[in-house]
Formats: sequence, structure tokens, C-alpha cells
Amino acid sequence: MNAASSGPRAAHLDPDTVAQLRRIVGDSHVLLTDGDVEPYSRDATPLFRARPDAVVLPATTSEVSAILRLATERGIPVVPRGAGSNLAAATVAERGGIVMVLTRMTAIKEISADELLAVVEPGVTTAELADTAALQGLLYAPDPGSRTVATVGGNVAMCAGGLRGLKYGVTRNYVLGLEAVLPTGEVIRTGGRLWKDVAGYDLTRLLTGSEGTLAVITEVTVALLPMPAVARTGVAYFDSLSDAGRAVAGVIRDGLVPATLEFLDNRCVNAVEDFAHLGLDRQAGALLLFGDDGTPEAVERSLGIMAATCERVGARGVTMARDVAESEALLTARRCSLPALARLAPITLLEDATVPRPKIAEMVDRIEAISARHQVVCATFGHAGDGNLHPTIVFDPADGDVRHRAEAAFGEIFAAAMDLGGTITGEHGVGAAKRGYLQARLGADQMALLRRLKAAFDPAGILNPGKLGS
Amino acid sequence: MTGPGHSATAPIPAEPGASAAAAYRAGIFDPTVLSACISCGFCLPVCPTYAQTKLENSSPRGRITLMRALEEGRLDEDDPTLQHQAGLCLGCRACETVCPAGVKYGELLEQWRDHQWRGRHTPPIAGALRAGVRVTPALAVGGLLRGAARTTGAPEPDRPHLMLGCLERSLYPKVSRAALRLIPDADVPEGQGCCGALHAHNGGSREAAEMAQRLGERMPGTIVSTSGGCAAYLAHQLGHDRVKEVGEFLLSRWDENPASMPPLRPILVDGRPARVGVKDSCQLRNGLGVFAQSRALVGRVAELVELPSAGVCCGGAGTYSMLQPEMSRAVLDPTLTQARDLGLDYLVSLNVVCTRQLASGVRRAKLPVRVLHLVELLELAL
Ligand SMILES: Cc1cc2nc3c(=O)[nH]c(=O)nc-3n(C[C@H](O)[C@H](O)[C@H](O)COP(=O)(O)OP(=O)(O)OC[C@H]3O[C@@H](n4cnc5c(N)ncnc54)[C@H](O)[C@@H]3O)c2cc1C
Ligand code: SF4
Ligand code: SF4
Repeated sequence: MNAASSGPRAAHLDPDTVAQLRRIVGDSHVLLTDGDVEPYSRDATPLFRARPDAVVLPATTSEVSAILRLATERGIPVVPRGAGSNLAAATVAERGGIVMVLTRMTAIKEISADELLAVVEPGVTTAELADTAALQGLLYAPDPGSRTVATVGGNVAMCAGGLRGLKYGVTRNYVLGLEAVLPTGEVIRTGGRLWKDVAGYDLTRLLTGSEGTLAVITEVTVALLPMPAVARTGVAYFDSLSDAGRAVAGVIRDGLVPATLEFLDNRCVNAVEDFAHLGLDRQAGALLLFGDDGTPEAVERSLGIMAATCERVGARGVTMARDVAESEALLTARRCSLPALARLAPITLLEDATVPRPKIAEMVDRIEAISARHQVVCATFGHAGDGNLHPTIVFDPADGDVRHRAEAAFGEIFAAAMDLGGTITGEHGVGAAKRGYLQARLGADQMALLRRLKAAFDPAGILNPGKLGS
Repeated sequence: MTGPGHSATAPIPAEPGASAAAAYRAGIFDPTVLSACISCGFCLPVCPTYAQTKLENSSPRGRITLMRALEEGRLDEDDPTLQHQAGLCLGCRACETVCPAGVKYGELLEQWRDHQWRGRHTPPIAGALRAGVRVTPALAVGGLLRGAARTTGAPEPDRPHLMLGCLERSLYPKVSRAALRLIPDADVPEGQGCCGALHAHNGGSREAAEMAQRLGERMPGTIVSTSGGCAAYLAHQLGHDRVKEVGEFLLSRWDENPASMPPLRPILVDGRPARVGVKDSCQLRNGLGVFAQSRALVGRVAELVELPSAGVCCGGAGTYSMLQPEMSRAVLDPTLTQARDLGLDYLVSLNVVCTRQLASGVRRAKLPVRVLHLVELLELAL
């Protein structure tokens, strides 16, 4: 682990720094005691943990700027944090220092039906943004499974995907403009309210997915869409996950680009059913959740084609959600797959390998072979329509060398994904968890460029040090 | 595996803290329950204390992280945050209902308080209440009930037994009386003791379980309680088939045998049906999954108005309003605003602790709303 290598590393903060921080945000928004900072020592990633020296909760852009200026001046690491729901250990303060929490910045500044956009502060949750937009008949399309928890700032910083990626894309496709604070304290505005704007490098895109290593995002302008008239969902059961994968390939070959194509293997179906009690078929080898939105006629046609394709590929059964509530219940259940799997064993290690869509069935088979070879229990679910798989190994750390077997299995799963033309992470990011694999994906030249970019933004190397490009 | 550096770092960290600390365990918590949480944060949006502070340490996920630090020796047990958060949690278990991983937060909280609040660490009020209730098992079945209460004779397993909550006996005898009018054949044993819920939630869970068992022996057969909290705790200890909250009991009895239902008149205010909101009992709703029955009963005698915050803790939370007065009031405020905006005539509670909390809030906000227990409302319709 290279966390302890070069770059700034905070010892405990000196009294003057603490006094300055208190002056900037007010006493009650600086947390210092062991007990107060302990809950910020981890995010949703298992096995990574490090206690920061302080947690600071700014409420305005100028407070963010003042904190960063101070940190750069004194060489103190700063780790931005939204809701701490990321799965890449991207908010773990491996080098101590300050965790800067943006959840006090929760204003929804504007929803414009005329311009089809929203302007929000970074601490607003995805669900709050989507629900507020929906009140005006507008759709915020990115739909990560963690939508009720995760913040828009965190979504942008991780370029979150979700359950509607196939038709609607991911967070990056909706970010029009950002206000961000550089580690040296300057406030920049990238992009803006325009759909077309090619003045300068596309820094908006660069910051999207930058995992809190280049700048702190303090305002986000996102594109909205008119709300589709209807959205419907159906479920198909298969004997195996690779059959479900073949159905997905078939749907896309049929010329459809539906909103949702999610699948779960038998273990996931059972874990989800234990929580949600929806009457899912526990015997099925896999479940495919398919859905689309649009005009009633188009949705009818699309679901009809998808159902027929599933049956052609050999589905054991196909059912349609009767109403909106049933559709919503199915989607909610799907969003719970990961935490529901935690019922199986104390440690739930999830990965994010992604392959070109036609290769899904093959990748699924490879995952099964690899887990069998390493004798690990692997449950797989994912955004099948995007080729984005979440193989999840569950284990009890007390069980001998299982950790090493899990590690070896994941190494081979990543290699297999890249072999099929895929990547090590489709949407969860690199953070600390996957940095060991980054060079294999990008190559040495690109890695060097990443470091030069990082240095241009952050000369003192204080922002989320050790993650992604640093 | 291809590419340089591919195996340089495993996805699983060799973080010294993680493995070394996992070896030490203080033995305060059930390890299976404690390890079930994956820190996904799905519980954050429903936690009333997190909604107030927006600080991780007053969220369910943050509290579980604190418990782990205590268990694994990363935090000193005298740590002020541990002390503070063990008390600031409402114990409402809203977090449990949304947790896909099935984390039994209620059990963890009991284990935490058993440890955190032992000896000199017990908050004075919690200790006094625990002691007070224990030494007065015979807290008299109040004057209004005298005559109905059975003081001698063998318990009769066939009759439903009315279990009187501790607070109710001393402060709300009218609730017991109303319950008796609705269940005329109820057996009300004198000297019934406490069910243990109060102890379990205040750092005395072992003692509590014994109290529940004793009560179960004294009242063989069906036990009916007017307190959602007691019903949920007893059902957990003795089985939900034996223990029923009063609304649950009445609805199923009246539905199974319509002749047993007394004639109920609509409750009117200014000539129109009264507007009535139900405030759930947390333990009843989140622990036992019971919430529809009270609404069905209210709907038979008045106009049911669903409060958006019906399922959110009122801040009464057993002894909470005494231990954490400020947070207790803050948690209640949204309900008061909604009661006013929705023009409620009555606010119905399913637990006298909630009744007291709601009534004091209504007084403070000067609302023209009457707070009644469910059985008191039904009594108005008799
Ligand atoms: C059950 C579950 C389901 C999930 N489902 C999905 C899914 O379907 N799709 C998906 O893509 N992800 C998913 N995730 C992962 C996670 O929710 C997303 O990565 C989310 O975008 C993280 O948002 P957050 O607010 O929690 O950010 P955090 O976890 O707090 O931070 C994430 C990163 O963003 C940085 N950051 C946060 N705020 C800012 C800011 N204002 N400025 C600069 N940097 C910032 C942090 O430094 C960190 O690097 C899921 C997670 C869980 C637990
Ligand atoms: S308690 Fe449940 S919902 Fe909350 S963080 Fe833990 S696993 Fe997630
Ligand atoms: S019991 Fe209630 S107050 Fe306590 S953590 Fe859970 S939701 Fe929050």
C-alpha cells in the first residue's frame, strides 16, 4: 500500500490551525475528539479505515476556500466527503488530516423548466434533487442505487451511474457546469447553463469523476429532461445468469435501448427476497429486471419485445409489474441488492468489472469459473444493459485464508474483464480500493499524465492525497 | 494477469488497524449482529436525530461505527461521544425497518446501554426510573379501576388479560378504564408488575427479560396492552401470538365476531366528522410491524387524516423526554406543524408516554388539538 509514501501527512493539528478552522466555520462545526471523528473514519467500503485528525463542516463556498487555503499553506491533507456511501474507500483519510463534509450545503437554488436545468449545492441528495424536479414534471435521469443517501457532489465526484444508464447515460452526461474551489483557494466556474460551450478545455468533464482529488465542488448545474409519460417494469426468470446475459444481448440486437436492464443471480434474489418479501422466484438461477419509459404506446411495444426476447432465450417465466407501486417496489428491491447480500456473511466485498455488452454472458461464466477455482462464495448482480457487473464475494474473515482467496479471485476477475475489452471499474471509482489496478488499465504514460494534471491543480498535494491520480 | 503493476496492490488492504484490532473484542456486543452492518447509509434518511444534527455520530450508521470502536478497543469506554450518543439515540428503531442487511439495531442498542449505563455511568433519571418501577410492582391499580381488578383467585387463561403500563397506572387511569369498557370481559390482575421494556431500553436488559417472563406466568393466555412499547417488548419476549396491542386486539376480535363490537357513533366536531391523526408507537410500528389496525379503528368513528410524520418518533421515547429534553422537543416539532396545517381535532397516540409528550407539545404550541389514547377516542364513540 502506497498510502504512507510521499506527500503531506498530518500529525495532530496544532492549536493555531484548530483555532483558525474554528474561526472559519464556527466552533460547533469543527469536530476533534476521538469519538466525534471516529464515525468519519470509513465509508461504505469494507476493510478500509483511518481516523482523521479533524472533521470540518463548512456551509459556504468562501468557508471551503478559506479552509483549503489554510491547508495548502500548512500542508494538511483534506479529504472531501458527501454522504460517505462510495464503495472505493475514496473518503478514507489514510494520511490523517481534515475530512471536509459538504452535507451542510443543501440548497436547491433553482429548478428551471424553461432551461431544463437545476442548480444545487453539493450536499443535496440525489433523491431530493430528483423529487424536487419531479414536482415540476422534470426528470433528473442519473439514478444510482444509493440515491436516497448519496449527495449530488459525491455523484459528480464519482461520476455515478445507476439503474437507467443504458438509455440515459451516467452523471457525466448531465453535468452542465460546476463551481469548484481549487486546493489553493481560488474559486472557478466551469461550463455553465449552456448545452453548447466549447470555450477552453472541458474542465467540467475532468472534475466529473475526479474523486475529490482536484477541487472541491461547491455548486452543480445539471440538465433535466421532461418527465416521460409512463414508466413500466417487468421481470424475467432464467436458469442461469449467463442466460439472462444472452437475453440482454438479444434485446440490444433487437434495436431497443430500454431504460433499465438489471440482473441478479440466485443468491442475490434470495437475499433481496429475505428483505423485501415481494414473492420473487427463489428457485430461479437469475432474475432480469427490464423496464422502459416514454409514451404509453412506445413503452407497451418495448416491453412486449423484451418479454418475447426473454422467452426466446429460454426464460422460465416472464411477468409484468401491474402498476407504478409494483414497479417501484421492484426497483427499490434491486437497489438493495448490495446491503441485502450482507445478510450472508460478515464481509461483503463488491467489485465493479465492466465489459462490452455482447460479452456479458461470457464474463459471467468466467466469474463463476474463477470463484469456483478459488473456492469463494460469489454473488453477482449488475447493470446488465451497461455491461456493468458487481461480482460480490461474501466471507467470514475467521474462515482461514479466505481473504487471500478473495483477493486472488478479484485479481483474475479484473484481468478477465480487461481481456474482454472491459475495465476495472464501471462506476464505483478507483479511490484507495482499486488504485493497485489503475496502472494496468491506463498504462504508465497515462498515469504520468494524471500525476501532472493533479500537480497542476494541487501543487501542495493536499487534496485527497494517495487517491486516483496522486 | 497482464500489465505492469497489476498485482502491486490487492483490493483488500493489509491495513494494520483492521486486522489487529479485529483480534481484540471486549465482548459487549453480539458479534454476528454487530458485523452485519456494511455502512451503506440507507438508514440515514429515516433517523430523527440525524435529521436534527446532520452529524454522522448521531446517525444509526455512525452509532454502529462507535459501537464497533468500543468493542474493538479503539475508543475508551469513558469517551464522551459514546456516553452522549448512547443517550441521544431515541431507540425508535426506524433504522431497522429500512436496513436491507437486516441489522438488529434495537438489540445492539440494548447491549450498548447495558454496558454504557452500568454503575456510575447510569444517567440519574434512567437509574431512578429503573429502581422506582422495580420496587413498586404493586403500583396500585388506580382508584377508577377498583372493583374491576382481580386481587385474588387463580388466573383464568381463557379471558384476555389487560396489562397496565407503569405510567398508565399512576398517571393515566382513564386509559385503563376506557380499555375495560371496550373489553368488558378483561381480567385485570392486581400487582402485575412491570413488563421490563423500560429497563431493557435503559441499560438493564437481563433484568428486563426476567420481568417479562414473570409477567407472562402471572397472565397465562392472551395479554392485551394499551402501551405500544410494552406490547412490542412483551411480544418479543413471549411471542406475538400471545401478546396484542389493544387496537390490534380489538380489530381482530370485532372482525372475527361482529356481535362483540359495541355500537359506535361517529365522533363529530361542529357537526362534521372529527379529523383525527394517528401517531404511531415506534416500538409497535418498527419492532412489531403493527400500524394499520389503529388507523382502521379510527376510520370507523371519524375522518382519518394521515400525518406525514406519523411513523417518526414523537421524542417521548420512554424516558427520553426526561433524559434529552432539547432533542426531544426538536424531534416533535414537525408533527406539531403538520397537526396544525392539517386542521386536526384529535391526535391519537398508542402509548401513554407518547400521549404525555404530544400533550406537552400541543400545550407549548397552543394548538386547538386534543391528544387522546386510541381507547379514549373509541370511548367517545360509545
Ligand atoms: C448500496 C449502495 C448502492 C450504490 N449504488 C450505486 C450505483 O448504482 N451507481 C453508482 O455509481 N454508485 C453506487 N454506489 C456508490 C456511491 O453511492 C456513489 O459513488 C455516490 O456517488 C457517492 O456519493 P456520496 O455523497 O456518498 O460521496 P462520498 O462517498 O462521500 O464521496 C465520494 C467521493 O467524492 C468526493 N466528494 C464528495 N463530495 C465532494 C465535493 N463536494 N467536491 C469534491 N469531491 C467530493 C470524495 O472525496 C470521494 O472521493 C452505491 C453505494 C451503495 C452503498
Ligand atoms: S444499519 Fe443497515 S442501513 Fe444502516 S448503514 Fe448499516 S447496513 Fe446500511
Ligand atoms: S433507533 Fe431511531 S434515533 Fe436511534 S439510530 Fe435508529 S433511527 Fe436513529
